[in-house]
Amino acid sequence: MFKLILQNLRQRPARALVSVVAVALGVVLLLVSLGLSYGQLMDTAQRTKGIGGDFILQPSDASLFFALNSGNLPVKVKRVIEEVEGVGAVTPILAKFLGDKFHLIFGIDPESFSGVNQDLSFVAGKRFSGPREVIIDTIYANSKQLSVGDPIQLLGHQFTVAGVFRQGTGARVLLPLNTLQELNGTPEKATMFFIRAKEGRSLEQVYDALQGRFENYRITKAADLQAMIMDSTPVFKQFVSAMVFISVTISFLIILLAMYSTITERTREIGILKALGASRTYIIQLILNESLLICVAGVVLGFGLTYVAIQAIFAVFPSIPVTITLFWRVASAVVALAGGLLGALYPAIKASQMDPVRALGYE
Amino acid sequence: MNRDRITRKRAVVSVEDLQMIYRVGKVEVPALRGVDFTIQAGEFVAVMGPSGCGKSTLLHLIGGLLKPTAGRILIDGVDISSVSDVKRTEIRRLKMGFVFQSYNLLSTLTAKENIELAQQIQGSGRYEEGSAREILQLLGLEEKMGHTPSELSGGEQQRVAIARAVISRPAILLADEPTGSLDSENSRMVLDMLQGLNEMYGQTIIIITHDSEAASTADRTIEMRDGKIRNRDQPVLYAMEEKHS
Repeated sequence: MFKLILQNLRQRPARALVSVVAVALGVVLLLVSLGLSYGQLMDTAQRTKGIGGDFILQPSDASLFFALNSGNLPVKVKRVIEEVEGVGAVTPILAKFLGDKFHLIFGIDPESFSGVNQDLSFVAGKRFSGPREVIIDTIYANSKQLSVGDPIQLLGHQFTVAGVFRQGTGARVLLPLNTLQELNGTPEKATMFFIRAKEGRSLEQVYDALQGRFENYRITKAADLQAMIMDSTPVFKQFVSAMVFISVTISFLIILLAMYSTITERTREIGILKALGASRTYIIQLILNESLLICVAGVVLGFGLTYVAIQAIFAVFPSIPVTITLFWRVASAVVALAGGLLGALYPAIKASQMDPVRALGYE
Repeated sequence: MNRDRITRKRAVVSVEDLQMIYRVGKVEVPALRGVDFTIQAGEFVAVMGPSGCGKSTLLHLIGGLLKPTAGRILIDGVDISSVSDVKRTEIRRLKMGFVFQSYNLLSTLTAKENIELAQQIQGSGRYEEGSAREILQLLGLEEKMGHTPSELSGGEQQRVAIARAVISRPAILLADEPTGSLDSENSRMVLDMLQGLNEMYGQTIIIITHDSEAASTADRTIEMRDGKIRNRDQPVLYAMEEKHS
């Protein structure tokens, strides 16, 4: 059977190739779109986590997507938080989304920030010491070709790069809290507070204490951040469902079309097989196996093309995070194979039900 | 002739009041109008008659490719007209071998692969003489076993088709105009092969033909006209004389 399938594909190389490429494109579409969106979410979660601390305190209606929030929390709340039993360190952060550059910047208070964050490491330069200095992460520095001492334009003002830190902490650009408050028109305001519990304290107890003191605020555990971002992302699940649906549909329609035209062309061959005693199951297996082979080749090609596409994205947009997990690789393969097999099912059943005498007489 | 041998054997094909009506839209076209005959195991029978008399329909019915409108077809005692499609396919796979006028080899496979595919479908190991390679050697096609049908002559293709039909030693070999597309030399070769299979292995053969020379290879002829049997037990010589008179 395998020889017959292989010879049939070799006999019609153009159609086989187009089918394989179409299935591959479905895989690429799924992996790249999910890789980009999932990568962005993972990156956001990891960089937020990278700020340090055990909890984030925000207004009750705030989003974990800081770009969506305004800076309306009074910085003086910091003192109240510090009084809560078990709280070791608190730092206010003002987040500002730069629409023209399409990224976030954080205003931080260097003194309290270092009480919460202990991982910030510089590959060049040092922390900012003046109001018109910023520090940037390695990805931003590489993508913008910036180094220490270079000027950088933000919010209509010129800043100087004071240092380059290893990526993974908060935003790609950090500047003094006071400066950002001033430029944002929100003096003494912050978007959120990052809170670190005292060494050795039970996080649950500190969390309960914070909840008790700040009933009308949103308090997020850093450990839950990733899952919460995934769950609370607007339309992420719908986006994933849409991508899966499109990918399945591509495989389904292409294989349906390819297999339907195959069985039409091979009507006589199916008649011969029936005359030889081939059962309906044999004919169905023959068509399904052929489509399976096309889909497997499509999946393999899709993985290769996805790699090429991601390298191309990195070459053009080095700061864009792309995360393709093993789960999504397996899922994209399953989606392509399932779509292909479903598409082949109708032609396979139709072929198995052909009248052998009519099929033998088909020209 | 192996007539004495035949008379001691069992009936392998029994056709009783067989009727077949094709429906073309609302029009009914009768192809067979009550056909009866019996063929013994090891018999070589030629079915003759003019075009449209129902010969091919009869062959397809015996081979289980069609289901009759009425009547019974007993293959080794099993009525294939009343069994399910699955069972009929199984009987076809286990007991029938087909040879067609247009050879019907799979164009993408080589001669050897065509035979191997039939073995695979029919379940290998039922041909005592061995593999596809051996049967092609027996047929003098050893050099051509790696050739696809388009690289073979008509005669060679038909020899491969016969090898494919008998590789699993079916109870009945059904041949529909097997020499219809061949020149006289290749026709003779194919008929000799069929005769050899019948005489050496006792292969039951039913051949549909227009060709009186092809029919002369058989033990007896069944002559059909207008969907009925005109003469069911006619010795070949008599049939030929009558045809030419």
